[in-house]
Amino acid sequence: MNALRRHRQLERIWASRPGWCGKLTTVNNNDIGLMFLSLAITYFVIGGILAMLIRAQLATPRSVFMGPEIYNQVFTMHGTIMMFLFAIPLFEGLTVYLLPKMLGTRDLAFPRLSAFGFWCYAFGGSLLIFSLLAGIAPDSGWFMYPPLSSTLGSPGINPDFWLLGITFVEISAISASVEIVVTVLLYRAPGMSLDKLPIFAWYMLIVAMMILTGFPPLILGSLLLELERAFGMPFFQVGAGGDSLLWQHLFWLFGHPEVYIIFLPAAGVISTVLPVMARTTLLGYGWIVAAAISLGVLSFGIWVHHMFTTGIPHMGLAFFSAASTLVAVPTGVQIFAWIGTIWKGRPELHLPMLWILAFFATFVIGGLTGVMVAMVPFDWQAHDTYFVVAHLHYVLVGGFVFPMLAGLYYWLPHFTGRRRYFKLGKTAFWLVFLGFHGTFLLLHWAGLLGMRRRIDSIESGSGWELINLIASISGFVMAIGFALVLIDLLANAVVAVRGPRNPWQAGTLEWAIPAPSPSYNLASIPEVHSRNPLYDVPDLPLRIARGEGYLGDPGRGVREILTVEVASGRPSSLVIFPTNTALPIVMAFVTGGLFIGMLIKAYWLVPVSILIVTMLAVWWAWSLGSRKDQGPQPVGHGLVLPLASEIERPPGWWGTLFLLIANGVFFGSLLFGYAFLWTVAPNWPPPAWLEPYLTGPLLALGGTVLALGGIRFADRALRRDAGPWLGLLLSLAGLAALGSAAATVLVRTTHNAHAYDATLWVIAGYVLFHAAVAGIMTVFLALRAAGGYLSARRIGEVRVVRLWTDYAVTTALLGLGAAWLPGVLT
Amino acid sequence: MTEILRIAVPLTAWLAAFSAVYGLHGLVCSERWDAAGLDLAAGRIAMTAAWAAAIAFQVVLLIALLSPRFASGSAFVRGVSLTLAITALVATVWTLLPVVTTSACL
Repeated sequence: MNALRRHRQLERIWASRPGWCGKLTTVNNNDIGLMFLSLAITYFVIGGILAMLIRAQLATPRSVFMGPEIYNQVFTMHGTIMMFLFAIPLFEGLTVYLLPKMLGTRDLAFPRLSAFGFWCYAFGGSLLIFSLLAGIAPDSGWFMYPPLSSTLGSPGINPDFWLLGITFVEISAISASVEIVVTVLLYRAPGMSLDKLPIFAWYMLIVAMMILTGFPPLILGSLLLELERAFGMPFFQVGAGGDSLLWQHLFWLFGHPEVYIIFLPAAGVISTVLPVMARTTLLGYGWIVAAAISLGVLSFGIWVHHMFTTGIPHMGLAFFSAASTLVAVPTGVQIFAWIGTIWKGRPELHLPMLWILAFFATFVIGGLTGVMVAMVPFDWQAHDTYFVVAHLHYVLVGGFVFPMLAGLYYWLPHFTGRRRYFKLGKTAFWLVFLGFHGTFLLLHWAGLLGMRRRIDSIESGSGWELINLIASISGFVMAIGFALVLIDLLANAVVAVRGPRNPWQAGTLEWAIPAPSPSYNLASIPEVHSRNPLYDVPDLPLRIARGEGYLGDPGRGVREILTVEVASGRPSSLVIFPTNTALPIVMAFVTGGLFIGMLIKAYWLVPVSILIVTMLAVWWAWSLGSRKDQGPQPVGHGLVLPLASEIERPPGWWGTLFLLIANGVFFGSLLFGYAFLWTVAPNWPPPAWLEPYLTGPLLALGGTVLALGGIRFADRALRRDAGPWLGLLLSLAGLAALGSAAATVLVRTTHNAHAYDATLWVIAGYVLFHAAVAGIMTVFLALRAAGGYLSARRIGEVRVVRLWTDYAVTTALLGLGAAWLPGVLT
Repeated sequence: MTEILRIAVPLTAWLAAFSAVYGLHGLVCSERWDAAGLDLAAGRIAMTAAWAAAIAFQVVLLIALLSPRFASGSAFVRGVSLTLAITALVATVWTLLPVVTTSACL
């Protein structure tokens, strides 16, 4: 088969449907990646316009451009949009688009999940933008501190848009993270062992793990605050046993890692682009990997440095001050490795390199002011002033926006297949760079002169007037620069002349693919032997197109892809991917019903949405698998591999594992909240603990034995080619018993009596929900067994349900144990 | 996955120890600690013991990652895991040092 015929056949198999309908039903990583990028850039424009409104308001003293009500909405939405709707989705989009290509594979691990994540992002973001247009946008700051954001401070619907809209959007981040982790671990070109991973993939693996462990505390906080606002469950109200500091802990448990979640993808871009611009290879690959992992984990130990002024004892402050200084070390290791890379190479000053130099100049200043605010005595002076505003913009714009612009310009020829022709980019660069420093450098001084954050006007004679005027003028210069960047990118994408496939002479695999990328990415999967396969084998693009790699024969007419062993990169299985479907968009739409039901207090919509989502999820899962064992399949080069649906731990098992890790962090945060209130909240102990009783513990223990034993019994039966019915029935009975045990807690407490009761309701509800999910999965398994989808070989689905059942049982024992323990002890 | 665990465990253990000692500090400074009939000196001893246990655990991890039995066969993973184990040990010593150097509940 010649290359053109192979291309046509693969396009027929992998392409999305033509027209707009294709965009709604596509599950292809190229489409989804570009959709993420386009929407994130749109939100950046909206967030930027809001920033200009802020600067217009603060340009002159006692400005009447906006009243305080509108101003509060504008600065809240500026922060919210930039953090949640721009920064995270932008790097998600870039990753969804690029990662499979860099790893030498054809798509991400779970294509339908990519699409579902995108639509959750689109619908959740739309909710927030609607609130802005309707004048009822969140107005309590992007951090939503109660009591300002609770019904006491904000009785209107404004904070609900934030709590529900952002949680909706976070589904997208969690989905993308599960995808990225499983893709990096399993979906790579054969031969790509851990030491040969593209550096960007390492960074994204770390970032995805950080999202899986960093976002759940915020999701929990949002849920608790929404429950307080909707049903009076007083988690954050001191008078009823709550504590508003709990919100700050949960928020910053997310919020500080979030800074690194945003910085590390940009660092991944720098580590990829910089060596190419310097005509060399990356200096200290292993050190950079270790530094990035250190930064990722250490960033979880510094959340309290946002709370230095809340009255925490000195020792607590010292823990977090020490940890905050420590993160400077791995950051420094990366910076020095990059400087060393420039030193050993022959750098060329192309536009991506200019943006990287702007990153160095800006981010180092942001890092140094970060060390300053990590010092408790300094932070006490600078907290809640414009010094912090200036610092965070140096870190986020310098550490994220500039490197991402370097990345966009670097990969533009790959996205478009065109050579950069129009030269607006350099003018735009200087306008943005000078405008940025003109805006934020002086604001450090305004902060040191006492200018507070979030004020809607400045007074004459305060000494801040000139600084703010200069900052506002510079802000508009920066905005003009960003507008020129967009025009430049669009012009070069649409009308520039065709260019070569690999204009930068880079060594990573994405440059082996025709530009713009075909839907299947790689015509065949190459075997790689180094981190820069194109340097080893310059004619690799040709070999790939000729089908000389694995899966070069599209004759089976299905979407085929390989998985590899995590460490060695040896091929391990063949996966058949699902095709285009409207299921993700429909499911995201129905999921939206759940959030809208809560938002407009049409609570009947919530269970209806959950029911439909459950039915759609069953449909989703049902379409996978096969009714007969197919055995090992040839994948090329004489290699024969089992189908992923016929191995014990298919990719779905790994996806479930990482989803449950995120879920476990959510549950751990809930237990932390319970312990925090028990230890710190002023109005504890509650008027009465839950009285000890036998029914609940007996149901829980019996349920545990039945659920764990039953699913294992079913597993063993299937492996002997016997019916799994008895085991599944026992497991179902066990899960029902666990659910009943949780229900006994609900009926013995009143949800809004005290924060203790409210917490017990959430714990019991969590246990009930997970028992129900595991129960539904068990019933699903029985139906699959009846339909002939399970066998001794096709055991993967049972392992997935076993994982869920084990998780449900473990969290039930821990949660219910924590609920009953105080009553037993007293 | 074993290779990923070699890389991930040391710093995860630091995070767990750091969070646990911070939680213990919260407990020591709370009314619950007084109610249990314990004083600040006992709290200091408990936190110091927890710190020492965390350091000892990190030292054991480092030795294990150096030993032929547990060390990775890949030079890359061995290098990264040892670097991270040393980082975790330094982080444990440095970030929890305040348990013996600052006032507990002021």
